[in-house]
Amino acid sequence: MRRGVRIQNLGGALAVLLHRPHPTVQALTRQLEAIGLNVAIAWPELPPTSLAADFVFFDADMGHSAQFPWPEGEPPVPLIALIGSEAPGRIEWSLLAGAHAQLLKPVGDSGAYSALLIARAAFDAQHAMQAKIEELQNRVNARMTVVKAVMRLAARGKSEAEAYAQLRHMAMAWRISFEEAAERIVGPDASDERDAQ
Amino acid sequence: MTRRIELGLLYSRSGDYSLISEACRSGSLGAVALVNADPDIDLTFVPVERDPGGDVDLYAPLCDEILRQTSARHVIGCVTSWSRKEVIPTLEASGGTLWYAVPYEGFEASDHVVYTHACPNQHLLPLLEWALPTYGRRAFLTGSNYIWGWEMNRLARRAVTGAGGQVLGERYLPIGSVDIDRIIEEIEATEPDFVLNSLIGRSSYQFLRAYHDLGKRDRRFLPQTRPVLSCNMTECELPAIGSAADGLIAAGPYFQGGGTDWHGPGTFGSSHEAAAFAAVWELARLLAHRPGSEALSLSNLMRTDAAKGSRIDHQTHHTALPALIARANAGRFEVIQTHEAVAGDPYLTHPRPARDIRAALRVVS
Repeated sequence: MRRGVRIQNLGGALAVLLHRPHPTVQALTRQLEAIGLNVAIAWPELPPTSLAADFVFFDADMGHSAQFPWPEGEPPVPLIALIGSEAPGRIEWSLLAGAHAQLLKPVGDSGAYSALLIARAAFDAQHAMQAKIEELQNRVNARMTVVKAVMRLAARGKSEAEAYAQLRHMAMAWRISFEEAAERIVGPDASDERDAQ
Repeated sequence: MTRRIELGLLYSRSGDYSLISEACRSGSLGAVALVNADPDIDLTFVPVERDPGGDVDLYAPLCDEILRQTSARHVIGCVTSWSRKEVIPTLEASGGTLWYAVPYEGFEASDHVVYTHACPNQHLLPLLEWALPTYGRRAFLTGSNYIWGWEMNRLARRAVTGAGGQVLGERYLPIGSVDIDRIIEEIEATEPDFVLNSLIGRSSYQFLRAYHDLGKRDRRFLPQTRPVLSCNMTECELPAIGSAADGLIAAGPYFQGGGTDWHGPGTFGSSHEAAAFAAVWELARLLAHRPGSEALSLSNLMRTDAAKGSRIDHQTHHTALPALIARANAGRFEVIQTHEAVAGDPYLTHPRPARDIRAALRVVS
């Protein structure tokens, strides 16, 4: 899959830096403001407003999971690790936290822009893949319902192939998915059997 | 008492882009002379020159030499983006500042660089906003094979396709190569409405001559109908091209006889000269009557009172510049359109202003 890098709408985006006061925070703030972002600095906790941030940078050296106001490893925004110590334990924790990109400390004159673009691309890709997995999971879960719907239609004297085609036409006419059409035909009691899988 | 302040100059006086280097050097030295002769300015600049001779690998060591062996903290220099990116780590290590007086492709805002020439929202975007409705939306893109050509063409592709247009071809040549026949053949075959030329130096001169010859052979490719557009061509390179440059359309912050006085006093041979003059002139303004300020880092210098009201943006270190669009004719550029000064937007994160209705449209007969 070829993905373009989204470079628009970084202007006015909010980046929250979860890091104790430090020259790295100043250097990073300078870079982010030059790019056109607004910057908020937080330590030791991320305030609830960080849920509305467009990017969160966090300190991989001193950070811990309780600092994030979301379930571990499920950041709702692109998350960028600020890594000073490249100790494997700290890198492992950054990955568990769900980092989408990293920037090495000390932060100097550059690096923030590529970290922003890479983190957002990774975040978008992760969400697109998650949505696809959920869709496929729902379809797998509905297999029994589809079988029952086809059997019910076939019981009215159609061949299996005809019944299948009829179900597809219904889904198209109702503008719903094949699986949802099957569920309408089978009726609400079908959900118990689906769960039983 | 007059302070003597050493000032680095890092321009290649030979090599592929020496005409641009010479224009920048001449603008810098012109400003130095004017500063040194001004009794109201309590400083004189003492130029410390190093010549990398067009070898990109010599820029960082020679910049380092200026910053370590002399008292200079400010260096005026570099022409290609490649050489600028080479010296930035040196500037970071020594706390020095580079004043860069050449149009570039944006996506940089170093804490150690002042950008006194235009970036894409000040050259490429106004040029395309004018050219697409004027000539059409089918573009051919050329460039030298390094960051300037690549990024300019990436931005042009976005702008052209975003406006519903088409990119018919995109071709690169190594810096210094004059192997342009294939590009000319592709242009002949695809008949674009315009060619955006981001080649540099000899490649560019050779391309412009060959395209001019094509126009003489085949009227479909005359510049009136299918012009070549450029964001890096100024008067300083016209002598190398001769009459083959006639009809070339260029965008820039200054052309001889056009524009405003953003650069400080005087008139100049080209925007390269004007931007290098402006760099030294602005530096003198920032340092004047503040003994010791010559040792400050750029970020600290930009916090002084003198920096209030500067054309240099405190966050990006880019310069607010007008955008002029001009057509080459008989060794000069004739200004077609003038957009008033806008701040440099190196990351293109700020919305484009609506077309400036005050942009003066002057018909050139």
